Amino acid sequence: SDGAPGPGHWDADAAAGGLVDLAVPGGAFSGRRAPCLKNPVLGPGVLQAIRIFHTRQPSLAPIPCVPEYGGKVCLGLIPKEFFQFLYPKTGVRGPYVLGTGLILYSLSKEIYVITAETFSAISTIGLLIYVVKKYGASIGEFADKLSEQKIAQLEEVKQASIQQIQDAIDTEKSQQALVQKRHYLFDVQRNNIAMALELTYRERLHRVYREVKNRLDYHISVQNMMRRKEQEHMINWVEKHVVQSISAQQEKETIAKCIAGLKLLAKKAPSQPVL
Amino acid sequence: MASPACFSSFSVPVKEKKLMEVKLGELPGWILMRDFTPKGIAGAFQRGYYRYYNKYINVKKGGVAGISMVLAAYVLFNYCRSYKELKHERLRKYH
Repeated sequence: SDGAPGPGHWDADAAAGGLVDLAVPGGAFSGRRAPCLKNPVLGPGVLQAIRIFHTRQPSLAPIPCVPEYGGKVCLGLIPKEFFQFLYPKTGVRGPYVLGTGLILYSLSKEIYVITAETFSAISTIGLLIYVVKKYGASIGEFADKLSEQKIAQLEEVKQASIQQIQDAIDTEKSQQALVQKRHYLFDVQRNNIAMALELTYRERLHRVYREVKNRLDYHISVQNMMRRKEQEHMINWVEKHVVQSISAQQEKETIAKCIAGLKLLAKKAPSQPVL
Repeated sequence: MASPACFSSFSVPVKEKKLMEVKLGELPGWILMRDFTPKGIAGAFQRGYYRYYNKYINVKKGGVAGISMVLAAYVLFNYCRSYKELKHERLRKYH
């Protein structure tokens, strides 16, 4: 099984005994050559991926959890399987009779020699049994409490992790729900923009009106001014020519006529009192 | 068993018959089939250890049986080793 597949190629045939032990450190290479390039011609730069991993069937069975109680033991020394083994042939009391017989046999044939140590052994074992019987339960409870604390801690960590992930899921869901409500935001924005457009339009409209009115006012005022100027000019011109047309002689005659008229009036006037 | 020794608390897959299922006549042949390389022997010790460990010690509510069996075996082993000297302290010569 060493030479046929070639170095670096894990053997897929599990039934060829002496299987490579992947879990034991250093066991991956025991029994094979030292790791080397599969194809030395190519050189070490080229990636030589010729190892095939995971060729064994994956173990799909769930990991058995730690059993609650250990194997049953009678007298603290002998597993119950032994009693089961003897039960068909000898019944319930068989193993006890066997034990008694063996003890008596070893004592009588002095396979077990009674010395001074026997008594110390008896007292030691007696003391041990007494202690175990008296305090065994409480020590067991104490140990159980310790292990329960450990398990509770781990459980806490697990629950905290689950809670965290649940919170993350909820947050994600709520954010996804928010996405559905985006259209409100867009509506508001659209309304705002429409109002701004309207505002600008009206503002510009007003401005246009003002500018046009401005220009029209200008033309009107120009016209008015022209007319006024023409009027004044005409009046001045007429006055000037009229004044010019009054010759000197005409002026004297006019003044004499005025004085005569005044004298006439003065004659009529003294009949009325002076106010 | 010729199964790999990398598991400690997994159930060990069996490829050959267990000792209890081997008939008496087949025993020599079965013994010869066993793996006697150093790796095989080490594997056997490892399996045996983990069998005992998982059955009596690696449990939630263990008892005194786990260590008491080991201590009793140790006591017995030492007694057997020192039997040669103890023989001289026998109370009677003929049994």
